[in-house]
Amino acid sequence: MRIDLVLRYVGMVMLFIAAFMLISVGISYASGMDSSFYPLLLSALLTALLGAFPQIFVEKKGQLSTKEGFAVVVGSWLVACIVGMFPYLIWGGEFNLINAWFESVSGFTTTGATILEDIEALPRGMQFWRMSSTWIGGMGVVMFALVILPSMGRSKMTLSSVELSSLARENYNYRTQIIVQILLVVYLGLTLLSTLSLKMAGMNWFDALCHSMSATATSGFSTKNLSIAFYNSPAIETVLILTMAISGIHFGLIYATVTGKRNNIFRSEVTRYYVGILIGAALLITISLFADGLYPTLSASFRHAIFQVTSLMTTSGFATADTNLWTPFAIILLIFVSIVCASAGSTTGGIKVNRLILATKMMAARLQQQRHPNAVIRVRLDGMIQESDTLHTVMVFVVAYFMLILIGALLGTLFGLDLTSAFTGAVACMGNVGPGFGEIGSMNNFAAMPTVMKGVDALLMLFGRLEIFGLIQLFSMKWWR
Amino acid sequence: MTGLRKRVTVGFLSIVCLLFISGMLSFFELSHLSRDTGDILKASRRNIELAKEILDAAHNLNVALIHSSVLGERHYDTISRASMRRLEEVWLTAQSEALDKSFLDSLAFAATEMKVLVDNYLSFATTRQEQATLPFTDSLMVGDSLAVDSLAKAAAQLPVGDHWYTEEFEGSYNRLTAAVKAYMTSTQSSLAPRTEQLKKNAYRAVTPVLISLVVMIAIVLMFYYFMTIYCVNPILSMNKSLGAYLSFRVPFGVKAECKDEVLELKEKIETLIGQAAHHKA
Repeated sequence: MRIDLVLRYVGMVMLFIAAFMLISVGISYASGMDSSFYPLLLSALLTALLGAFPQIFVEKKGQLSTKEGFAVVVGSWLVACIVGMFPYLIWGGEFNLINAWFESVSGFTTTGATILEDIEALPRGMQFWRMSSTWIGGMGVVMFALVILPSMGRSKMTLSSVELSSLARENYNYRTQIIVQILLVVYLGLTLLSTLSLKMAGMNWFDALCHSMSATATSGFSTKNLSIAFYNSPAIETVLILTMAISGIHFGLIYATVTGKRNNIFRSEVTRYYVGILIGAALLITISLFADGLYPTLSASFRHAIFQVTSLMTTSGFATADTNLWTPFAIILLIFVSIVCASAGSTTGGIKVNRLILATKMMAARLQQQRHPNAVIRVRLDGMIQESDTLHTVMVFVVAYFMLILIGALLGTLFGLDLTSAFTGAVACMGNVGPGFGEIGSMNNFAAMPTVMKGVDALLMLFGRLEIFGLIQLFSMKWWR
Repeated sequence: MTGLRKRVTVGFLSIVCLLFISGMLSFFELSHLSRDTGDILKASRRNIELAKEILDAAHNLNVALIHSSVLGERHYDTISRASMRRLEEVWLTAQSEALDKSFLDSLAFAATEMKVLVDNYLSFATTRQEQATLPFTDSLMVGDSLAVDSLAKAAAQLPVGDHWYTEEFEGSYNRLTAAVKAYMTSTQSSLAPRTEQLKKNAYRAVTPVLISLVVMIAIVLMFYYFMTIYCVNPILSMNKSLGAYLSFRVPFGVKAECKDEVLELKEKIETLIGQAAHHKA
């Protein structure tokens, strides 16, 4: 492992993050040099210095190996979360060390959970930095940096293949540079379109930009304490539902659909399941809410149900209603969509619909195999035969995912949380969803969480974002040899 | 090519920059903190001084009015007026200097009430004194001046304000002193949130410095690591390899990854070895 080369690439990512801090400094300056100006400026300087240092010492040499690529990607995420908390720590307010770490990790992993009790007290510069962190994290810290980095030859391919999960790579039949460009075009396009639509729906420019960055990244950070419930506007909710739902689809498929390619979203089996689960869950919850008399009309029930289902299934976490007050049936369905989440190759977290389909098909194949022991049964997804290695990885991932949720829930109850908060907190953080139920419901926050649990939940967010194994490898001594 | 000199210079400059930033930040934040603390202490001290002066002036006024209204010693009216003026002056100073004017509301009410009461009393008592002497002087015959004087003196010495003092002034005086005490207490209790703010400021003063120091430690560690792998290790291995060549004629084979002076040195050594071998041959 060439640590110097790893440091060089991580340094590049840090320079990229410092550039976003400088943009936030500009926002702060434009807002009359609010109290976040100096904290952001100092953070940008320190981050840039840390990032530039290895560039001066380490020369560009050779190509990255896969192992080094892993180290760069995981290291970049960790370092991004560390430097991302500098502005929070220097600014002060509600941010102590653990709160700043939690907020930074929540931002970069696009979880969108917050420890802030008064979000509106944040100055504009700091609000924009929160949104920037989550927007960078939405596309992937390294993937974003790859767009602007100079040509790196095979290293770029190594990094992008490590950053993109194997499931996400399936719909890309392009060179690495093109994949990165497609991601950027779709991401930027969605953000701009959403900003304009939110502005037209009644938000001011700043809120429209912040919410569209958050929705495209499926983060759920809001500039308001009441999240989207603050606006109480069906138009705004509709724009956000569409933005979140589209962001939950594989970006390669979105690009193919827009450019009129054959492998578009209408032909995608995964997208069909994703939309089916989303609409099915929303309809079932609508009926449950209306039957329980929680909302006066069916349309009001549907309005809240579709928003919350889309918000949780796409791992955004925006809120228009207090879901703690909903029926147990609705809550169970919401927990289910928080675990399944959306498609691979999108900005969402969680197990992902792709793995759910594969796991279901594997179970069906197993039953068939028992009936016909000599039959050769293939599992297909989108018409493609899946290798046994892929299927094995899927099952290992699902098992590891639930084990981590169990550990998170166990630790939660150990440190004094009630069962609902502990379990849904672990689900919400592991899936990068944000809100859970109980003490951390859609209208609450993580401020009252025990300090240890804030640390545990931040770790779960990182596990969820880095798809578990990357982070575990980093802490394995053998791996470094 | 990035030369050794440039690398070392950049490394040290980065550390110096961070030290400078940390130093400037601590200096700026701590001087800010010190100024804030000084301001709070000064304001607190001044508040106590002013409250003491108001209490002293009110006490003097009280004593003078006891003499004047209860004991009938009318020459104390001058002292009463002077004390009232003094009270007004201190009150106006307190009003202009107060940082938080909301604490002065009840004091302003009590002071105004007392001023109206005392002014009325002093003008009323004078008129009454004059009125008290008039009927007697009218009814007396001209030339009976001795009688007029003695009647006037008796009227002046009558405890006309006894009732006024106990029924009206004493209550007002008590309200004023209570208001002054409340003013003192409230200004002191207002120190708590300001001290809390100071605590936050202290946190803000320390955090950037700590973060700069953490970044500096990270840079020093990187600097150490890079210097070790790009400078120290190649020189050590060249030394070892050269020693092995000179002693046992083991071929000189050292890897130098960076295109810098170390690589040049390695190449020159190889050239020298090559030339030496050529001369021998």
